[in-house]
Amino acid sequence: MTRKVLLRYSRDKAEEPILASVIRQTDVPINILHADLGAKGGEILIAIDAPEDKVEKTISLFRELGIGVEEIKKAIELDKDACIECGACVSLCPTGALSLTKDYSVELVEDKCVYCEICVPSCPVRALKLRKF
Amino acid sequence: MVEIVRERGEIEAAKEVDVVTTGTFGAMCSSGAWLNFGHSDPPIKMQRVWLNDVEAYTGVAAVDAYIGAAQLSETRGLEYGGGHVIEDIVRGKEIEVRATAYGTDCYPRREIETTITKDDLNQAVLCNPRNAYQKYDAATNSGDETIYTYMGTLLPNFGNVTFSGSGVLSPLNNDPNYETIGVGTRIFIGGTQGYIFWEGTQHAPTKGFGTIMTVGDLKKMNPRYVRGATIEKYGVSLYLGIGIPIPILNERIAKTAGVGDENITTNILDYGVPRRDRPIVRKVTYAELKSGKVEINGAETPVSPLSSIKRAREIATVLKEWIERGEFLLSQPVERLPRDREFKPMKQPFAVPLVRDIMTREVVTARADSSVESAAKILAEKGFDHLPIVDEENKLVGIVTSWDIAVAVGKGKKKLSDILTSKVVTASEDEPVDSVARKLEKHKISGVPVVDSKKKLKGMLTSEDLSKLIGRRRR
Repeated sequence: MTRKVLLRYSRDKAEEPILASVIRQTDVPINILHADLGAKGGEILIAIDAPEDKVEKTISLFRELGIGVEEIKKAIELDKDACIECGACVSLCPTGALSLTKDYSVELVEDKCVYCEICVPSCPVRALKLRKF
Repeated sequence: MVEIVRERGEIEAAKEVDVVTTGTFGAMCSSGAWLNFGHSDPPIKMQRVWLNDVEAYTGVAAVDAYIGAAQLSETRGLEYGGGHVIEDIVRGKEIEVRATAYGTDCYPRREIETTITKDDLNQAVLCNPRNAYQKYDAATNSGDETIYTYMGTLLPNFGNVTFSGSGVLSPLNNDPNYETIGVGTRIFIGGTQGYIFWEGTQHAPTKGFGTIMTVGDLKKMNPRYVRGATIEKYGVSLYLGIGIPIPILNERIAKTAGVGDENITTNILDYGVPRRDRPIVRKVTYAELKSGKVEINGAETPVSPLSSIKRAREIATVLKEWIERGEFLLSQPVERLPRDREFKPMKQPFAVPLVRDIMTREVVTARADSSVESAAKILAEKGFDHLPIVDEENKLVGIVTSWDIAVAVGKGKKKLSDILTSKVVTASEDEPVDSVARKLEKHKISGVPVVDSKKKLKGMLTSEDLSKLIGRRRR
C-alpha cells in the first residue's frame, strides 16, 4: 500500500541532500507529490510504495536526519451521500484522482491526490472535504 | 431506442416501442417556488420577506411570495441561497421567516418573525420559468487566468471543458418538433409528477435551444432530485431533476428519439471572451463530451459534465417504472410549443464602447535596455504613469510604472530590464470597456496596454480614460 508522508524541513536542513541519501540507503521508491521548499525550509509531500517494514525504516531514517515527519492518513473525503455525481470536479483534478467511472459515478482515488484543493470549492454541494495538513 | 432504430430502422421501432422516457439533472437557475404563508393576526401585507435571510419576491397579494433559486443569502453570501431554501423546504426543515410591511387599515401589522416547515405552508409550488434546455453550448477558456462562470470553473489556456445537458437522454431533444411535448404535458419533476405549462423563457426552437416552463408540488418532491448548489465565485442555483415521457406515435418521432449521442452536436464556446456572442472554438458531439476528453488545438482536454448523467439515467428509469406500474399516465398536450420563436438580444440605448473607441493610440514606449533615468524623464515630461516596454518589432515585453521608477531610483537600479514587470495584464482592441474595468479592479492596477493577437502594442487604456467615459455616459 502506498503511504503518504509529509516531511518538514527546518531552515538548517533545507540545503542538505536528505531525500537523496534516504533513497540511497533504503532503496525504496519515493514519489514527490507536492513540494514547497526554499532556503528557509519548507515541506515535501511524498508517497512511499513499499512493504510496511521498509516504510517504517524510511520514516525513522528521515527522523534521524532531523526532518519532521507526519504521516497523512486520510486527507480528502468524498461524501457519497451528498455527491450528486455532476462531475464538476473531474476536469479540474490535475492528477486524475477524481474521475468518472463507466456508469458516470464520481470516483476518488486517494493515492493519486496531491491536495491541490482546487476541487473542494468547485463542488456545488460541498461533498468534497479536505483535512489541512 | 437508439440501438433499435439503428438496427431495425424507425418504421419497425415505431411499431415496437410505445414510450421512450428521458431525464436530466442539472443546475436550473431559472427556478423558484410560490409559497403561501397564511394570514397572521393581526394580518400583515408583506412588503419584503426573507426566508433564512434569502429575500423572496412579495410584490403580489399579502402573504404570497416567490423564492428564486439564484437569490443570495444576505448573511452567508454564495454558500446559501434560494436553491438551498427550496431544498430545505423539501427536506421538511424549519425555515426562519421574517417580513416587513408599511401597514394599512386592513393589514395593520408592520413586521413579523416566525419559523415554518412545509406543513405550515398552504401552498409550496415549484414554478419555473425556464427548465430543461434542449441542448446547451459547452465551455472552455482561452485566457491566461482561471475564470469562474455559470459553466463552472474554467482553467486557463483551454485547460478544461464543461458542458451541460444529458444529450441522448435530453427530454426536448428526443422530440425536437414538439409533437408530444406541449402545454399540459405531465412530467417527472423533482421526484413527483408535475406539468409543462408554457414554452420556457428564451425558448429558441429554430436554433435547437427549446425550453419549457414547469410546475409541480414542492411538498411532494424528493430531495434526491431537488438540491441547492453553489457555483464557485458565480452564485447559487438549484439542481433539479426533470423527466419527460415521449410516446412514439409515428416514425418521425421514432427517428428523432433514435438519434444517438454521436449525432447530437453542440459548440464549445470560448468563455475567455466576455461578450454575448462568444467565439466558437469547435463543434463537438455529446458522445465526445461524455467520453471525458475532447481535443482542442491538438491537446487532449479533460471534460466535466456539470449535470449528472448518472442521475439523468436514474430519472428516466424511475419514470419508466411509474408508467409500467400505471402510476403515471401519459397526457396529450392541449397546445403545442411554438416552433418559430427567436431569442432576441436586449435592446440597448447605445452600444457598449470597445477598447478601440477610447484607448490612447499615441503611446510613448521604451526598450528594456534603456536607462531608468531616461524613462523617468519621459514619464515626467508627458505626465504618463505607464511606460510599455517593447522590442524591435513593437511587441510588448513588459511595463514600467512611475511607482516602479520611484522604487528603482530609491534602490539605485539603473536599467529598465531590472525593474520591468514582464507578466502584464493586457486588453485587446475589440474588448468591451466594461471587461477592462473588471480587469483593473481585479488586479488592482490603473492601466493596461492594448495588444493584438501577435502581442504588438496598439495603445494604452487607463482608469482615467474609463472615468472620462463614465462622465460622458452620465451626461
